[in-house]
This record gives sequence, C-alpha cells and structure tokens, in this order.
Amino acid sequence: MNFEAVIGLEIHVEMKTKSKMFSSAPVGFSREPNTQVAPLDMAFPGTMPVVNKQAVINAIRVANALHMEIDHTLYFDRKNYFYSDLPKGFQITQQARPIGKNGYLEVEIDGVKKKIGIERIHMEEDTCKQLHFMDYTLLDYNRAGVPLVEIVSLPEMSNGTEAMKYVETIRNIVLYSGTSDGKMEEGSLRCDTNVSIRPIGQKEFGTKVEVKNINSFKSIEAAIDYEIKRQSQLLLSGEKVRQETRRWDEASGKTVLMRVKTDAVDYKYFCEPNITPIHLSDEFVENAIRTCPELYDSKKERYLKAGLALSDVEIILSNIDMASYFEKAMDKVKNPKDLANFLIVEINAYLNKNVLKITDLSLKPETLAEIVLLQEEGGLSHKQCADILFKVLEEPTLSPKDAQKALNIVAQVSDTGAIMGFVTQVLDANPQSIADFKAGKDRALGFLVGQIMKLSKGKVNPAEASRLLKEELLKR
Amino acid sequence: MNYLDLSIDALHEALVKKEVTPLELTLEALKRAKEDNNNAIERLDEENAIAFAKTLTEPEVDNPLWGIPYFAKDNFSTKGVETTASSNILNGYVPIYDATVVKKLKDAKMVMIGKTTLDELAMGGTGTTGHLGKTYNPYDEKHLHMVGGSSCGSAASVAAGLVPFALGSDTGDSVRKPASYAGLVGMKPTWGRISRYGLFPFAPSLDHVAYFTRDVSLSAYALNALSGRDENDSTSSTRPVEDYAADLHKDVKGMRVAVLKDIVDSITNKVLLKKFNKSLEELKKKGVEIHEVEFGKELLESLYATYIVISCAEATSNDANLDGIKFGPYEGGNTYQEVMFNARTKGFSELIKRRFVIGSYCLMRENQEELFLRAQRNRAKIVAKINEILDNADFIYAPAAPGVAGLFDGASDKLSDEYLIADNHLCLGNFAGLPSITLPLGFEDGLPLGVNFMGKAFEERKLFNIAKTFEDISGLADLSALNKKEGNL
Repeated sequence: MNFEAVIGLEIHVEMKTKSKMFSSAPVGFSREPNTQVAPLDMAFPGTMPVVNKQAVINAIRVANALHMEIDHTLYFDRKNYFYSDLPKGFQITQQARPIGKNGYLEVEIDGVKKKIGIERIHMEEDTCKQLHFMDYTLLDYNRAGVPLVEIVSLPEMSNGTEAMKYVETIRNIVLYSGTSDGKMEEGSLRCDTNVSIRPIGQKEFGTKVEVKNINSFKSIEAAIDYEIKRQSQLLLSGEKVRQETRRWDEASGKTVLMRVKTDAVDYKYFCEPNITPIHLSDEFVENAIRTCPELYDSKKERYLKAGLALSDVEIILSNIDMASYFEKAMDKVKNPKDLANFLIVEINAYLNKNVLKITDLSLKPETLAEIVLLQEEGGLSHKQCADILFKVLEEPTLSPKDAQKALNIVAQVSDTGAIMGFVTQVLDANPQSIADFKAGKDRALGFLVGQIMKLSKGKVNPAEASRLLKEELLKR
Repeated sequence: MNYLDLSIDALHEALVKKEVTPLELTLEALKRAKEDNNNAIERLDEENAIAFAKTLTEPEVDNPLWGIPYFAKDNFSTKGVETTASSNILNGYVPIYDATVVKKLKDAKMVMIGKTTLDELAMGGTGTTGHLGKTYNPYDEKHLHMVGGSSCGSAASVAAGLVPFALGSDTGDSVRKPASYAGLVGMKPTWGRISRYGLFPFAPSLDHVAYFTRDVSLSAYALNALSGRDENDSTSSTRPVEDYAADLHKDVKGMRVAVLKDIVDSITNKVLLKKFNKSLEELKKKGVEIHEVEFGKELLESLYATYIVISCAEATSNDANLDGIKFGPYEGGNTYQEVMFNARTKGFSELIKRRFVIGSYCLMRENQEELFLRAQRNRAKIVAKINEILDNADFIYAPAAPGVAGLFDGASDKLSDEYLIADNHLCLGNFAGLPSITLPLGFEDGLPLGVNFMGKAFEERKLFNIAKTFEDISGLADLSALNKKEGNL
C-alpha cells in the first residue's frame, strides 16, 4: 500500500521588541535570571496588561508578508490553565479573532514552486522558563511575557523537505522584517509539527501525531521523514497509529513517545476584560507595512538583477548581517558580483579563520568597496586585491592605497602593445599548443593565457590577453 | 466636636488657617481607629502616616484634599504595606508597587493611615466573609446589623467618624450599597474614569474604583484627584479630566429624572417608600421633571443571575494567580499541582471556592454558550435598556436598597421579588459602566436609608449637581454615627 503524509506546522516566534507583550519590562535574553521583570510578569495582584505597539506592528508585517487578511480590530482572549510556568494562571492570546488569517507562502523545491496555506497568525505572550532539578525547580521570569507570534499552517505539506523549506521561509520573513532573530537552536523560533499519513486516494486524515522539541531546520526534515516512515511501518504491519505527542531525539535520530493524548484540555477561553477592543486605523496598518524593512525575497530578486549568481545570493542572505554589510558597499562598486566574490571567499575565510562574526569586522563596507574598485578600475587583479584586503585586515590603520604601496603591487599592464609582446613570446615558444587549438582543443587557450600570466608575473589583464591571443591565433 | 467631624469645606478652611494641622488630624484619626470596635481595620500604617503628615506644613489653598487622612480598602496595592484583600491566601503579601489611586492621593497630599476590611477578595455583600470575621455597622452598637459589603471596613470607618474619606471598590454595588446602610455618600464614576491599576481584580469588566465620603462636595473634589488616563491601565479613558465640583451649586431646573417603577413597586418597607415619595416631591419643587418608567420585571429579575455568571467567570480566572508559588503562604507539596492545591485549599474560604466552581462551570466548553455567552448577551440587552431610558432622562433614580441594613442572623427569602429587584439593581451601573452615586435619605429606627442616582457616561459633573441639590434637600450632609450621637448635625 502507498501512503501520503499530511503535515501541518505550528510555529512560535519570539519577538525582539524592546519591552514585553503586555508589560514595560525589557526583553533581554541571556541576562541574569529574574532581572527583566515587571510586576505584571509575576502576576502581582492589580497589575494590568498594556498591549505593546511594536509587537502589533511586527505581527502586521509578518501577516502581510504571508499574504494574510489583517483584522483591523484587535481582540485578546484568556487561555486558562494551571501550570508552574504560567504566572497569571492564564495566557493572554488571540483565540477568537487572530490578527491575520487565510494566507499562504510559496516554497521552491528543485525549481518547482508550491503554495502552502496558512490558517492564522496571532499574538500572545511567552511563559517563564523552568529549570528542573532532582527535587526542586527554578523559575526564571525573564522570559515570562516576551511577545510571541504563532503561525499556524494548513495541513498542506507532504514531506520533511517541504516542511523544512516552509520553516526556512518563515524564518527569513521574521528575520528580515526585524521581528525576531529566528534562531531555532536558541528557541526564539519553535516548531511543533503534526504528522499523519493516509493511503493515497483516501480523503479522511489519518491519526495525527504531534512532534515537539525540534531544534534545527535539518531536524524538521529528519523528524518528519522519520515519523512518516514509523507510521507507515505501523500501518503496514497491521497496527494502528496512536494519537500521541512525541519528542525528536537528536542523538538517536528518532521520535520518542512523550505522552498519549487524551481528550483535549478545555482552556475555558474568554475575552480579556482588561483590554478593550483596539481599533487599528487603515493608516496605522498601511504605515506598518510600508515601513517594513526589505524582506528576503525582495532582496534576493534585487541581487539577482544586479548580476549575482543564485548560489552567491543565497550565501549572502543566509546571514542578515552579511546582507546588510553587502548592501552598504554594493552601490559603491561597478559590479556587485565582484564585491560578492570578496565577501563570500576572502572575507568569509578570514572570519572563519579568526572565529569572528561579520559584525566584529573592523573593515568598513566602504573600504571593501574601495578595494573592489582597485580591481574594477585600477587595473589590479583579484589576487592582488585580495592581498591588499588581507593586509588591511591585518593592519586596519592602512588605507587600501597604503597597503598596495606597502605590498609593492603595481597595476596590471593593459597597454595593447606591451601585452602583444608577451603573446608573441608565448606563442613562439609553444607551437604544439597552437596546433592543439587549431585542432579544436579549447583547453590550449587556457594554457596559453596561463603562460602569459606567468611570463608577465601576473601583471597583464587576463581578459585583454585572452582577446589578443585569440586574434593572434587566428592569424597564425 | 473635633475638626475631623467637620464638613470638608470647613475642615479645609481650618487647615488653611492653621487652626489644625495634618499631623493633628492624623493622630486623632489613628487614635479613633485604635479605639474603634467595628472590626473595620485590617492594619494601620501608623509610622508612615505620621511621617508623611509631618511633612505637610504649608497648606495648599486650592487643594481641599490637602492633609486629609483616609483609609484604603485592603484590595488596593500599597507598596511596603501588607495587602491581603482579607483573604488568608494573601497573608504576608507585601506589594512592591502602589496602586495608581494610592499614588494620586499621595500626590494630592492625603494621608493614608491604613487598610480596611472587606468581604474576602471583594466577593460578597455582607461584610462577613473576610479573614478577620464580621465588620459591624457603626449605627448599631449592639452589633446585630450588617454594614454591608464588600467595602465593609471602608464604609464603617467613615460612618464611625474615623476619617472623612475611604477608598473602596464596586463590582456589583460594593460601595454604593454599604453607603446606603451606613448613611454615606458612595460614588462610583464611569468605567474607565479612574485607573484600576493596583486594584486587586474581582471581575474587571465590572470592577470600579469607588469611594465613601460624608458629603457630596468631598466626593466631587476627590474625583478631580482620582480620575485621568493611566498608561498602566489601557482601559482608562483618555477624556480630559474636568472640574467635577464646578456645577455643585448649579440650578437643576428642567433636569429629567426617571424613576424605575418596577424597583419601587417591589419594595415593601413603608417608611422607605414614604421618604422616597417625599423626596420626589422635593425634587419637583426644585424644578426637576420626574417621570416613571418600566424597566421590565423579567429583565430586572435576570440581573442577579447575569451578574453571578459574569463575575464568577472572570473571578475564577483573575484569582488563578493566587497559587502559592510567587507570593502568599507556601503550604508545601511534592509537585507543582500539590503546591497549588494545598495553597488554594487552605487559602480560600468555602464561599470563594463556590464562586470559582460556578465561574469555572460557566466557562466550560460545553456550558459556555448556555451560561457565560448567554449572560454576556443578556448584559448587552440590559445595557441597551438603560441607555434607552437615559435617552429621555438625565438620571435614573431609585432607593439604593429595599430598606435598612439586614441582621447578621436575618432569615432571608433569597429569591423574593424584593431581593431580586430592589436589592440588586445597583449592578445596572456596573453592567453599563455608568456613574452612580448613593446618598443618605433618612433613618428608620436609628439605621440609615439611602437612594441612588445614576447618570450618563462621563456626566459626573451633572451627577454631583443633582446629588448636591438632594443633599441640600435632605439636610443629611456630614453624617456619621459619632456626629449623630453627639448631636453635631
């Protein structure tokens, strides 16, 4: 029997706003425990929630990026349950009227695009962090009340790769819209997956299994594909899939049973009486959208138009700080592709070697652009410019020109007569290569250019040398 | 007669003339509080009160609140002063912040001398369910009659003459009903006019900061200081604060008063009816137009059930924070469930638990439509009716209660018309969030009777205008058990 999988995802994204969702306490991760706390975050009696405007703006931006209908009236509800990490005994969320609904996003796999429907996006608040020990538990309220958006997809994905791409796309949206740092490893983007399978052709959904504790993009793919395999094997061997919650175990590469689901908990939702409905003017919503920082897809398109290779674009955009660095320099060079080359090869190599982040780099984007221009306009080769770059990185006080001087780098010879001299010398010394070229072996051309570069000690412009070489070859 | 027993205007004049100082007033209030036998006080904040009163040396001529001692109901957060809401679950809880109103009164140089008792967590109308036991009515030295609740201690402390002003809270009638039983002015303004930040919530959609005074003037002056937008309470109104005392002495000629016939009809107390009818005649003499309106008996009879469902549902959620983990007595347990279970089992009285069960039941998925949401819809219906009446009237006027304060051991037929209607109609003001003021009407066998005016949203100035006129008619300003006993009136 052949099965198809049905996958739906619930993604929680922690917003990096200045203050919390409903209190004025600062949002600060990895601070001393219980130092980023206002009376509301510990549910002291009499405290009241006040909606964070920036969180609303962020949610609107994400909803817009996901092509959702945006509700112009904000409603909040209480989700009531008792748990040690829930200070108020309820969580303020948006149950009845989410800020956004009926959206979609597109993922591209092997050049094929697929639309995945999104049911809703809503705002809520995080719980406090628990640290369990043998006979006690420590509570850190720094996280309590941190703004979250929850994005709930429709069950429209069918394999791990699609799900991974879906989450990556959401990550890019929240990251580039400035909503969140979107780090799965640090829990600022959390993903719960619902996986079920059914025989191909069957309309009804199979029994749904929830998989939690997925901490990386790769794990999404692996966990879902594992779960599909597990469920298929169960059905094939005549067993039933139980409705349960499982946990992804990174080490063993398996999902492990957490608990069997009984009747769903009754959260006794009702409207939050301390927040009256808030009307958002068209102007407010439009302004939130208009002022949204440029998103991933738009940047990607722009970089491709500027002549960058797709693989280079993806590398640059995989790190928002690198993208931002790139943008500061890209208008100052003739061909952004040259800039991308330096960034991806030399700069990345330097950062890796020294275990640095691009934000640690003392080299200003404008200075890097100057170096790129030495190649583009100053007649230096890429290799020569790379040497200058490393020199400047070693000695940040040097300007690119100073570094060039210090390294005794001189401009490439681009005078046709001078280059012709090298061409003639090389052709005279390599009759066999001329014969090979005439016999249609293109490789010979590359060899001859190499010889010219060697003879000239790298000082001639290789493109110009190649052009003259071809002309001369045709004459011989 | 002590300065403390004067009208606010006379007291302020004495303070301005330095005949008496805030410190002397504070010491006198503290002395009276210590001698009080009405069980009205949770705790005194003697040291801070004296220290603050000592700093008040230069009278502020334009600030009638300057140097006046007051009590706050013990469900207002007071920084550094234990606040329990008269519940064992909050024993030992010392807040780290001041409620906005406490801060505002301090800014107005009023001197808080302590905290008063209430029905546990402000749930109740008898003044008997707090962890210190019954609070008594100062007009009954035999301690047989209630003072009403939930703001029992605040009502008793003002009625006994300890202070001229006390903060309370009003979710159903928790200030305006005890005001009627204690011969006081009980004021609850429009929902959102006064910030609730720091008021321990019972049912936020119905909760109001409210307060007791002995005359209408102080009630108006106090609103000037208490009201205004608060960034900590997003439900507080952005409307500018007015001078609520501006129209106190304005002519009321032509004002329209709607008398709710169904309420009057349900009352059996002849003394009350006689006095009430007489007040109508007096109002007419002042040029007030009186007309009777029918609210609808069925709708009025639904008030109590609607109130119980909505208030209990909200309460069960609001008080879910009281779990013994973050504050309040820790009663031990091996799991978080046990910790919460033990704290809540020991911390709440049976009555409170009953309310939580009712509230929780109403919110359950399978009951929500039939109970909670139905109550919400009925509330909307009630509010629509009130607004319809106020389209043709400036005020709705009725006796505040069906009679004088009941006996502690009174046998009551809980579901009589009189109970369901005349004893419960003040919650109309909470459902609609409208300003509502209770005023003394007279006495029956030495115990006070009261009336209530309810006005349109944010028309507090007008409400004080009619209230002041009524006070002039009744001649019952500055009532206290002490003033009555000493014949100061």
